[in-house]
Amino acid sequence: MTDWNAISDVEFRKEVRQFFEAEYPEELRHLPHRPKFAEIEHWHRKLHAKGWVAPAWPAEFGGMGLNAAKLLIFYEEQQRWGVNRGRDMGVQMVGPLIIKFGTQEQKDYWLPRILSCEDIWCQGYSEPGAGSDLANLRTRAEIDGDDFVINGQKIWTTMAHDATHIFMLVRTDPDAPKKQQGISFLLAPMNQPGVDVRTITTLSGETEFCEVFFDNARTPRENLVGELNKGWTMAKALLSFERIFIGSPSLAQNALGQLESFARGRGAFDDPVFRDRFAQAALDVEDHAALYARFADQLKRGETLGADVSMLKIWVTECFQRITELMIEAAGPDGGSIGPLQVGNVSVDVLASFYKARPTTIYGGSNEIQRNILSKAVLGLPG
Amino acid sequence: MVRELAEAGVFGVAVPEDQGGLGMGLAAGGVIAEEVGRVIAPEPVVLTIGLSLGLLRRLCPAHPKMAQLIGGEISLAVAWQERGPDGALADATCRYADGKLTGGKAWVVGAIGSLGFLVVAEGDDGPVLVLAEADADGLVIDKRAQADGSSLGELSFSGTPAVELASGGAVPTALAEAVADATALAAAELVGLSERAFEITLDYIKTREQFDKPIGSFQVIQHRAVDLNVICEVAQAGVREALAQMDSETDPKVRAPIASRAKARAVTAAKRITRDAIQLHGAVGYTDEFDIGLYLNRALVLSAWLGDDAYHRRIWFEAREAEGAAQ
Repeated sequence: MTDWNAISDVEFRKEVRQFFEAEYPEELRHLPHRPKFAEIEHWHRKLHAKGWVAPAWPAEFGGMGLNAAKLLIFYEEQQRWGVNRGRDMGVQMVGPLIIKFGTQEQKDYWLPRILSCEDIWCQGYSEPGAGSDLANLRTRAEIDGDDFVINGQKIWTTMAHDATHIFMLVRTDPDAPKKQQGISFLLAPMNQPGVDVRTITTLSGETEFCEVFFDNARTPRENLVGELNKGWTMAKALLSFERIFIGSPSLAQNALGQLESFARGRGAFDDPVFRDRFAQAALDVEDHAALYARFADQLKRGETLGADVSMLKIWVTECFQRITELMIEAAGPDGGSIGPLQVGNVSVDVLASFYKARPTTIYGGSNEIQRNILSKAVLGLPG
Repeated sequence: MVRELAEAGVFGVAVPEDQGGLGMGLAAGGVIAEEVGRVIAPEPVVLTIGLSLGLLRRLCPAHPKMAQLIGGEISLAVAWQERGPDGALADATCRYADGKLTGGKAWVVGAIGSLGFLVVAEGDDGPVLVLAEADADGLVIDKRAQADGSSLGELSFSGTPAVELASGGAVPTALAEAVADATALAAAELVGLSERAFEITLDYIKTREQFDKPIGSFQVIQHRAVDLNVICEVAQAGVREALAQMDSETDPKVRAPIASRAKARAVTAAKRITRDAIQLHGAVGYTDEFDIGLYLNRALVLSAWLGDDAYHRRIWFEAREAEGAAQ
């Protein structure tokens, strides 16, 4: 087994880049939508054969065992080449939780199935009454013999219609004194009579999000991960490393590249006002990348990231939105047109980019919630 | 204070060791400039590190004034820009012939209190760098008061004696380099200024009470404070990265737009932060009883000096276009 951390960063980047460039299917680069598993299955098989499905997992569980520095390089190369993340909820979310809090039986059973995508996971966190205030969730799980019986509703469950399993936060003690207590982390199969999935059509016409209804759905008691009623702390413990990725410059950088080629083709740079606004956006991306590098260096030195990392997400998502708005401006009278716009040999789907940018300030903790966090945890402002 | 800074080696920070400096580069100079910005010190630190030493070390590193500048014994103002009849920046016409200067220079920082002027002028065989003493004959210094209490000098020379230090094509090249250095250092000074203005404001909103609560407990104030904090951090990261890049680049064509990137970011940040700082202080922010106004005033002056954000975005963009066209 390769000890990736033993080779130099430069060598590692080269190797990752070569593999992506040689093996990743051209037609799947920079996919504008989230694919169903069937669409990317061929690529997943290649990745699985290479042993690269789970870059962050320890090698003993079938991961690459990358340290923070190598992990950042891996993701940077993935984003640079427009490699789709695939159906990675299992690898990114539930796998690490099982590794950290699961029993030996749970590890032996679930982890290989995550890597092979025999099980495809979706995340059941948000509910109609529990969005930003996630701890307000009401979906109940009650012990009944050897099973938990689940009743309630999840929403904004990404790709639930193409998942075999759901990992979820459920209320197991409705009488706990604080609402953050009495929440447990549960795994459940989707293919059963008590689970009903309905897709939600978004503004862009995509159906990535779903509602999931639980009506006396069942899951065996051994599918509880960690201790009963300790799910909230566990789910939160997972977030600290992920928070830098949600603030990575790549979305804005890719959009800026698209904006530039589109605007050039359309002659928008002849307009000095547009030139200045483009320069502002480009410098916003460049200086954000400098701040991102500062946090990345912190990780590379083995330090834990503080709450201040939230500022990356605020800046980059709002910048991403401004860039896609400039694309619409550059499109002029085509600014309301659905589908790709051809400019020379470049084709840019202006509205798709615009729509893609909208939810970035909502998901992963809305930017308003991020501001609340920074205000309290970083600036020390009162209540 | 100048002596203390000199003893700490501040002025020689970017001067190579074999020329009597510390050889630590612009990035280290930026850290010093940030500190100067934090205390809004009226000392000629960026002027000396960036402009006067920036010119001398490139054109005449053996000149005895080098050591005096590094030692903080003197400061020299640098004069190169000229004002046209309409008041705007104009092509240079100031002449140097037979050891004498004729013409004028404008926007000279440190004109008051400097021992003399490093003047870039047109000589008989092209550009020259000359040194004129502050009390030289035929030199009239017109002071223009600035928002921060400093003044800019408008110089007029009528047969003013001056000593030639360098000549030829090296002069405009060294000038452009020194201006790029000073531009990036001014950006660092603005970063330090912005950070301190934000800290003062943060302290204020934690203590000022209205409706029986600190105003910093209101969400609208909190979110504005967070925005300023984020702007500040992005500016610090961007400007520090730019200074480090300038240290590792030698091509002036590459270094100049990096300096522009730094100044554009720093001015954008400082403008927003100092203005919002006044708003968050409320009515007392508009009085001269509180320090916060000093930061706004200093930011106005530093922003205008060597080009503001809109100017530097244009320079940055044009350089980017030229590079793209060349490829």
